Amino acid sequence: MMEEGRMTFWGIALCNLKRRPFRTACLVTLVAALAFVLFSGSQITGSASNGVDGLSKRLGADILIVPKGYDQKLEGILLRGEPSAFYLDASWIEKIAGIEGIEAVSPQLFVASLNSYCCSVPLQLIGYEQSTDFIVEPWIKTALPKALADDEIVIGGLISGRTGDKITFFGREYRIAAKMGNTGTGFDASVFMNMDAARVAASDCAEKTGAAPPPDGSVSSLAVIVAEGFTASGVTGRINNEFDYGNSGVVPVAAKKIVDGVSGGLRALTGFFGALSAILWAVSLLVLCIAFSVMSNERKREFGILRSLGFTRKRLAALVLLESGAISLAGGAIGILLSAVMLLPFQTYIGEAVNMPYMQPTPAQFAATAAFALLLSFVTGPLASLPPAVKIGRSDAYTAIREGGL
Amino acid sequence: MIIEAQGIKKAYQHEDRLFMAVDDVSLSIGEGEFVCIEGRSGSGKSTLLNIMAGLLAPTAGSVAFEGREYGGMDDSGLSELRRTRLGYIMQGYGVLPNFTVLQNVLLPYVLSGRGGGLAESALAILEQAGIRQLAQRYPSGLSGGELRRVAIARALLMSPRLLIADEPTGDLDEETASGIMGLFAAAAKNGTAILMVTHDKDAAGYADRIHTMKAGRLVPDAGSGQA
Repeated sequence: MMEEGRMTFWGIALCNLKRRPFRTACLVTLVAALAFVLFSGSQITGSASNGVDGLSKRLGADILIVPKGYDQKLEGILLRGEPSAFYLDASWIEKIAGIEGIEAVSPQLFVASLNSYCCSVPLQLIGYEQSTDFIVEPWIKTALPKALADDEIVIGGLISGRTGDKITFFGREYRIAAKMGNTGTGFDASVFMNMDAARVAASDCAEKTGAAPPPDGSVSSLAVIVAEGFTASGVTGRINNEFDYGNSGVVPVAAKKIVDGVSGGLRALTGFFGALSAILWAVSLLVLCIAFSVMSNERKREFGILRSLGFTRKRLAALVLLESGAISLAGGAIGILLSAVMLLPFQTYIGEAVNMPYMQPTPAQFAATAAFALLLSFVTGPLASLPPAVKIGRSDAYTAIREGGL
Repeated sequence: MIIEAQGIKKAYQHEDRLFMAVDDVSLSIGEGEFVCIEGRSGSGKSTLLNIMAGLLAPTAGSVAFEGREYGGMDDSGLSELRRTRLGYIMQGYGVLPNFTVLQNVLLPYVLSGRGGGLAESALAILEQAGIRQLAQRYPSGLSGGELRRVAIARALLMSPRLLIADEPTGDLDEETASGIMGLFAAAAKNGTAILMVTHDKDAAGYADRIHTMKAGRLVPDAGSGQA
């Protein structure tokens, strides 16, 4: 752009930036920090938001019933895939189904696996009743046209393995019948099997680990759908009344409460990053504004010379805006690139750190977030340099020359 | 006429006192004519030059360049005039430190909106000014005389119809000053009208006409130079 005889307007701006490397680098770094926080914050909150969306879509039930004292464990399974095993008597299925306002009840049995060759961490095995299920089946049907056989499993998106591969749990081999897409929830680290297979797995588990086997016919949780005209909170209250809340041995947990709890965490996370981004943006804007104003004062001589050579006021203002735009564009790109390089390999750890359902954004979401962060970073420079640019744009040529000491 | 100023006045209000920097000055310069203005510091010479260059609006009077009055032109029109038809060499060196000598010389060409090229012409002008070997150097390492030559080469690049120079030989040694005046004389010979302000009697000697400014007024011709 500035080779011999090939000078351009853009080249003039670039030359000015290149010849003041330290100042340019400082300003680029400031904008890069802003873009880094904007992009990282958006990525993390976006991923958590995806996870919460996935959770509310995939939960499927209005109420979940677990043994008393295990409601926190249930959240661990649903949100983070933390393996756990607990049991309640199968007679609860009929008892709960008999409550007014309940449309459907389906049991699930949880078995916590040992380390398997497939995975470096223990997994949650979930057995479900295929005849009554309304949670698992709806979202694996497209990948699984028939009912699961006793030696077949469906694996979550984070578990390594492909359809047709074999996985061994407690010495027994299972064929992967389908693999689900990522949901951002604990289901991604869960293995689904039919109820009979889960009972065999639970018994294998007891045999291998020496733990007490589940009582005959027991289940871990009951998923409940509330009938039309009833509310989940109303039915929860009815269950508590009917079965002597606190002493009955079971706890009804409204699914909405779990989602709301997570949503509350997401709001706090979004608020934190929003506030951090806003503060950093305001600081960047202020610092850049001061920097560009100081620079404009220092450059009065240069502006005077350019005016005498035929730069119009508009062109001079455009030069200032172009230089600041170049700084913020470079800073924005660097910040986003750094953020992406640092975020992508550590998605799992970040997900654990935020302690929420966490699902990496799609490429489209990723691109949109990058574009948003780049745009906001990009406008910061020209916005900050607007006051000096306007001042330059208003001063006449003679003032520019005189103030430049020429 | 290349440029014609009629009844130019420039007044400044200083506290409660009105100061006339330029007082009723009329001046015309034809093609290839070399006009010099002498005078003491504060006599209004530089103010007059800035008015003639369209950088400063007069309080009264008019200036016309090739028949077009400055009063009828906006900032864009006056800037275009300075880019393409009027070379201005300001007091001091007027060279931008962020650009090489060649880039400095090419600036008016870039501002005129034309893309590339003209490097050869720029190099030829640098050759003429005796500084071609400095084309890729940055101004920081150049002497005062070399910087002046850069400014002159830049002013001459677009083959202006009028060259306005404010103290082009100030603080230069005799030999360098003579070289610079040689460039001016050559430009005038090629048809460029020259309006120069100087304190240097030797430099003034190159002019066809010499005017003297006193207290903002232009006194009648002091005589003709040797050019």
